[in-house]
Amino acid sequence: MTAPSPLLHFEDFHPGQTFVFGHYAVSREEIVEFAGEFDPQPHHLDDDAGKRSLLGGLAASGWHVCAMAMRMVVDGLIVKAANRGGVGADECRWMKPVRPGDILRVEVEVLETRASTSRSDIGFVHVACRIFNQREQVALLAMTPILARRRA
Amino acid sequence: MWFEDIVLDEKKDLGCFTFTEDAIIAFGRKYDPQPFHVDPQAAKESLYGGLIASGWHTASVWMKLAIESRQNESKSESQSSGALARSGVSPGFENMRWLKPVRPGMTLRYSMTPIEKVDLKSRPELGLIKTLGEAHDEAGTLVFRFVGKGFVARKPKGSMA
Repeated sequence: MTAPSPLLHFEDFHPGQTFVFGHYAVSREEIVEFAGEFDPQPHHLDDDAGKRSLLGGLAASGWHVCAMAMRMVVDGLIVKAANRGGVGADECRWMKPVRPGDILRVEVEVLETRASTSRSDIGFVHVACRIFNQREQVALLAMTPILARRRA
Repeated sequence: MWFEDIVLDEKKDLGCFTFTEDAIIAFGRKYDPQPFHVDPQAAKESLYGGLIASGWHTASVWMKLAIESRQNESKSESQSSGALARSGVSPGFENMRWLKPVRPGMTLRYSMTPIEKVDLKSRPELGLIKTLGEAHDEAGTLVFRFVGKGFVARKPKGSMA
């Protein structure tokens, strides 16, 4: 007999469940480096331009915030799960600017689980992923399906 | 480019980007260190059968090309207007799907199409544009899409701009 896998499978996720994890210290250097490569708008590169923009100060690109969120989700949840890769995100809201010196963390809330109708080996776990800053404000809210393997 | 100047359903080609193995691994190591994004050997044994780009890498390259395209256009446009500095911030996106794996050596052609203009009662100086972002592979197959949202400044009242 083999012991059941310690990895989280589709059957281990339930609506209402919440996973809390993560710690990401956001530096000015990283904000500017990411923006320089992928989103070189002045409000992601320069303090004065940030102040003149809707963001009210230098802030990370939203795509950078998504990437930092992904890093925390990989380290804090996906390594523990029988994950089958991502398909995308249904909705993502950048709620608050992410600034140099911010410390981010994650809460993933399971909303709904649904077995795949076309594939018997996987199921969809629909989650709300919230990224909090150190002021307990939600900086990013993403609604996304996660593909998880079913237990054989 | 003001809110009023944006033409709906006019697809704009943003150009191409080739994903190298080095770039895929560098992005994966920083932001998405799952085996199939960072380790060619482990990726072979994964469900993808080889290394693939993080979906956030595919998405970030769309932004890169969209900004490059905008910068090329606005060279001929006056940037002195303070009002235009209010543009370029986004409240989020919807319906992002990574439809096909993006593998080393693949070249994607990106595009953007404004699909909806939304008036903002709370911010009369701005409008919200919804944009369909897409990337196709060399065979013309859609591999990535999403609907982005962006705040765009309206022409100041009384302006002849």
